[in-house]
Amino acid sequence: MIRRLKILEHALSSLLRRKYKNLAIIVVYSFTIMLLASILFLTHSLKIEAGNILLDAPELIIQKTMAGRHDLIPVEYADVIRKNWGIGKITPRYWGYYYDAFTHSNFTVLGSDTPLPILKMLEGTAPSRPGECLIGEGVAAVRQIGIGDELILINSEGLGVIFDVVGKFTASSDILTNDLIVLGEADTMDFLGFPPGKATDITVEVLNPKEVQNIAGKIKRDLPDTRPITKQEIIRTYDAVFNWRSGMMLTIFSSALVAFCILAWDKATGISGEEKNEIGILKAIGWDTSDILELKFWEGIVISLTAFLTGLLAAYVHVFYFGATILAPVIKGWSVLFPPFKLIPFVNLYQVFIIGFLTVVPYVASTIIPSWKAAITDPESVMRG
Amino acid sequence: MTQDTIIRTQGATKIYNPTLPDEMVALDNVSVTIHQGQATVLKGPSGSGKTSLLSIIGCMSRPTAGKVIVKDRDVAKLPERYLTHIRRKIFGFIFQQFNLIRDISVQENVALPLYPADAGFAEIRKRVHTMLDSFGILSKRKLKVKKLSGGEQQRVAIARALINEPEIIIADEPTAHLDRELAADLLNILAGLVREGKTVIIATHDPLIFEHPFVDSTIAMRNGKIEPQPEEQ
Ligand SMILES: Nc1ncnc2c1ncn2[C@@H]1O[C@H](COP(=O)(O)OP(=O)(O)O)[C@@H](O)[C@H]1O
Ligand SMILES: [Mg+2]
Repeated sequence: MIRRLKILEHALSSLLRRKYKNLAIIVVYSFTIMLLASILFLTHSLKIEAGNILLDAPELIIQKTMAGRHDLIPVEYADVIRKNWGIGKITPRYWGYYYDAFTHSNFTVLGSDTPLPILKMLEGTAPSRPGECLIGEGVAAVRQIGIGDELILINSEGLGVIFDVVGKFTASSDILTNDLIVLGEADTMDFLGFPPGKATDITVEVLNPKEVQNIAGKIKRDLPDTRPITKQEIIRTYDAVFNWRSGMMLTIFSSALVAFCILAWDKATGISGEEKNEIGILKAIGWDTSDILELKFWEGIVISLTAFLTGLLAAYVHVFYFGATILAPVIKGWSVLFPPFKLIPFVNLYQVFIIGFLTVVPYVASTIIPSWKAAITDPESVMRG
Repeated sequence: MTQDTIIRTQGATKIYNPTLPDEMVALDNVSVTIHQGQATVLKGPSGSGKTSLLSIIGCMSRPTAGKVIVKDRDVAKLPERYLTHIRRKIFGFIFQQFNLIRDISVQENVALPLYPADAGFAEIRKRVHTMLDSFGILSKRKLKVKKLSGGEQQRVAIARALINEPEIIIADEPTAHLDRELAADLLNILAGLVREGKTVIIATHDPLIFEHPFVDSTIAMRNGKIEPQPEEQ
């Protein structure tokens, strides 16, 4: 044990001796780890959040289409839908997008008089009177307002409208609530300029989930200008999007790994004459081959673990505190994420383990293997200089 | 084998790159005897095989053929692991070009031979301090080796060779890079070691050494062979 500590001590002093070189290696190494871990943290957290949202999503959403595009749906369609068996609540939804010229942000405006599942996590109250609003954290942040303040928006007729902020979503994480402004239904219709009797879409509760496809088919038959979207389809779309993005990410992931391998390979192929000589000296003065391999093992482990932990920490901060700014160019497609939002940290230990395994092991191996050849050679060459 | 024989070679042969075009017979059937507690000098021109002989005697390499008997044990065919062990327990080496690790401290250099052994940190520190003190370089213990003068570096190298209390000290051309004054210092140190009862083996072609009174016997080499010596019985 003491022997091991002594060898570790020499490993540390060896590393300190080549401070700048080792620092450079740690920087590159940490950055690689950070990139890899950021990608995994980000996709994993987004997936979990999307999953959480979908958990609350209605089984069926009915949209009206017009010229192949999403159009406002007449509320009386609900009466046609109600004729089917096995249906629970039918709810017309009033929502739309709002471009905020002050802050160059996109907000989602949602009308609600009844508490929606996503309204669970809030501070203050939901709007109960006209002129009241509930806002997401992102809206509060870009507008720099909170509960008790006023939110001034420009309505569909170009006039300024004032809402009192009575509530705020606390879950800073939620992809859906971040850019959300919840108004009363009447306020929403007014503000976004809905024609009377029209809604954005209609959600349909299906009592027996196995019947969803069947009911969707019937609605489509009864109302040919609608498009029923099942929860399954949404999940599939999400999955496709995530998979596509994960694919992009994977590209970065692998290029980072390649960069890292180049670094490792460079180390593996080159062991300097100076290092060879030192190994010879140690052998000559009584170090075993195994002692030398242990020395190199410690050198590799110290660098690896330092870089690994630094990179992991940096990735955590990067993704969960700075909203993955470095990866932003790649994930631009997530326009729903604007205004900038914060993810709830979900970390998959298995993935962390994989990154560790894919980097630490090759690095340590690339430190030990080239020295191994020098370590098994007779130290005689040391005598000849 | 006489009572005071500590190392003996018997028909030791060392061939570099055997069977290759650049095959080199560095030692050709060499049989020598080193006596315990004596100073033995290997002399001969450059390329005569002195370093090769010191290497196999000091368990730094193995002969291609023949026997090398160190303290009654033939080490010629021992696996590497055992040779390392013997080097650690029995030998101290003083190299021509010091072979110190220049970027670490004096005390760490001197302590390195003790790292793979059983000694704990406190004991190592104590032994290193005592050793450095005896060479008058205790105050320099925290300096990097490269900051020291040539003479000081030489003392560090000797301190390192002696830290594991070896019975046999091997020095290969120890004065080649020293001025006359430092060379004289070194010889005094070596003479002192012999007086303490250590066995000292020196390879050199420096007349200052082999004419020095502390040298007990001289072995002359040429072309990988031992030259008959009138004064050797
Ligand atoms: N690793 C080696 N490969 C090939 N030839 C070598 C090697 N080491 C030494 N020699 C040769 O062996 C001969 C003896 O060398 P050496 O023992 O170093 O002599 P000395 O120490 O007396 O100068 C020299 O001709 C030298 O060139
Ligand atoms: Mg030589």
